[in-house]
Amino acid sequence: MSADAPGLASVDHELGDEAPLPRDNGELVFEEPWQGRALGMGVVALERTGASWSGFRRHLAAAIAAHKPDPDESEATAYYASWLDALEALLAECGLLGQPQ
Amino acid sequence: MTKDHHHPHPESAVELRARALEALLAERGLVSTDAIDAVVELYEHDVGPQNGAKVVARAWVDEEYRARLLGDANGAIAELGFGGAEGDNMVVVANTPTIHNMVVCTLCSCYPWPVLGLPPSWYKSPPYRARAVSEPRAVLGEFGVELGDDVEIRVWDSSAEVRYLVLPLRPSGTEGWSEAELAAIVSRDCMIGTAVPRVLDSAAG
Repeated sequence: MSADAPGLASVDHELGDEAPLPRDNGELVFEEPWQGRALGMGVVALERTGASWSGFRRHLAAAIAAHKPDPDESEATAYYASWLDALEALLAECGLLGQPQ
Repeated sequence: MTKDHHHPHPESAVELRARALEALLAERGLVSTDAIDAVVELYEHDVGPQNGAKVVARAWVDEEYRARLLGDANGAIAELGFGGAEGDNMVVVANTPTIHNMVVCTLCSCYPWPVLGLPPSWYKSPPYRARAVSEPRAVLGEFGVELGDDVEIRVWDSSAEVRYLVLPLRPSGTEGWSEAELAAIVSRDCMIGTAVPRVLDSAAG
């Protein structure tokens, strides 16, 4: 269950203006299912690991800045690709993505 | 969100990467498919109007906050920690005993989602968008809001630049209520102006 998951409003609050979720008139934009799963994965992983949202936001802003623009790529695709980068970077920083024992 | 693994098209590199990361995190016990599904489901459908209700409740109990809200809605709403890209340029319009405000977006469905969540389907429907302007009193009657002839109805047309929120009248019988109790009677429609807060016997006290 998602009983512990933060509400969307609090995710918006954590991301701030630095890296807001892609939206269209308020509705989240998921062009393909993997984008929604990427968001869900990040929220659940942060919740379970207790990793900080501020750390995630920092990685996400950096990943967005470092993302190479591709004219064939939509805004949502670019955003959630960066989201994956940020999640990997954060979990690696926490030592959670090393080789399995 | 689908769990269907039969994709109609070849998976893109980023899609494969997302799947690989999910599998890795699942293996480490950091995520589960069910938990991810639940979050996605929640976020896709449930952005409630509770933020707006908190803003209204605060304005009801705090005169100074009310004044700030009516003067600079963005700033006052941000004080409570709400806001966001598309929620900028909010204007709050206050109901009075002789003025009832209602909001429409005649052009499309502009809506103050950071405080109200996602718009209801009727808000986006062409009949509401047209009739809210041409015959607001009849539309309100259909929503169950009967106003006296002495009450002026003001219709506000939201746009991408300005999004309106109605500050309803605090109903009598709510003296001494906490902000949380007050927020609970402020529905989404109250803040669009197609309803007024009501005190039910069961909600009193």
